[in-house]
Amino acid sequence: MQIVISIDDTDNLESRGTGEIASLIAEGLTANGWGSASLVTRHQLLVHPDIPYTSHNSAMCFLAEINEGCLEQVISFAGDFLGRESAEGSDPGLCVVSLPDLKHAPELIAFGRRAKLEVITMPEAYQLADRIGAHLSEHGGTGQGIIGALAGAGLRLWGNDGRMKGSLKFSRETVPAAELLAHPNVDEVRSITGESVDALDLVRLGEKPKTVLIDGASVLLVSAAEAGEGEPLWQTLHRKELKDY
Amino acid sequence: MWRTLENGVREFIAGKESWAAAAVAALDCPGFMLDVDEEVIADEERSCYNCRYRRWSAASFTCQWRPQQG
Repeated sequence: MQIVISIDDTDNLESRGTGEIASLIAEGLTANGWGSASLVTRHQLLVHPDIPYTSHNSAMCFLAEINEGCLEQVISFAGDFLGRESAEGSDPGLCVVSLPDLKHAPELIAFGRRAKLEVITMPEAYQLADRIGAHLSEHGGTGQGIIGALAGAGLRLWGNDGRMKGSLKFSRETVPAAELLAHPNVDEVRSITGESVDALDLVRLGEKPKTVLIDGASVLLVSAAEAGEGEPLWQTLHRKELKDY
Repeated sequence: MWRTLENGVREFIAGKESWAAAAVAALDCPGFMLDVDEEVIADEERSCYNCRYRRWSAASFTCQWRPQQG
């Protein structure tokens, strides 16, 4: 069955990032034989004086396909991992959503979208988690990270927010779109201006290309390249062009 | 490029889209530390926008680095 795991507020200024912790939980899930995980995505939440966060207030999230009967083990493993590995002074929160058991998915998605715009309280997050059947737990500090964790799960389910953790790796700087599409983390290659990208079109890869979530797909966005004959028609977006995803 | 808030924290006054200014500000900063990859947003690696010690705010960011941390 498919689940969503989302975490928030696990780091401090000197520690490893929340994204790395999410990746380690994903690896642990596989190593224990409970299932397999998809790519980790980063979701930006509201930055506001009333919200305590280290430096950026982002949640990290991934989908996993787990074996029947493993849900409680996965929740226990992820919670223990957060409690053990989160940084001093952090306020880690964990959200696990079993998609077959999820009730009122639109409410969870709406919560995630609101968390990008409004300050939300912990009691409200717990009330929603209880109503929709999601697991939500604190693993240190004030536990404030539960708000972002729940919001991250909602945003991942929405499918129109977030960018991938890490980057795509290819052996050449210029590749046809078809080769990009063959990568397990690329569902679609899409022009930022809406023009269609042909499978045979050449794409120049910038430094550390990343996909973003659009319409539930992992999309590699490209823009028109200044091309001569035989040159790439497209190039991947610069980092700064991806910052709002 | 900076203003000092009442609590003594420095705020970058050029906002969130001044890529060149953020890169210049980081050039000679002894506290610069590249953030984890997923939080890096500027193409110039050495940029205050990519620094672990920047704390984003609605309009810009504040610098959390203190000399004793170096």
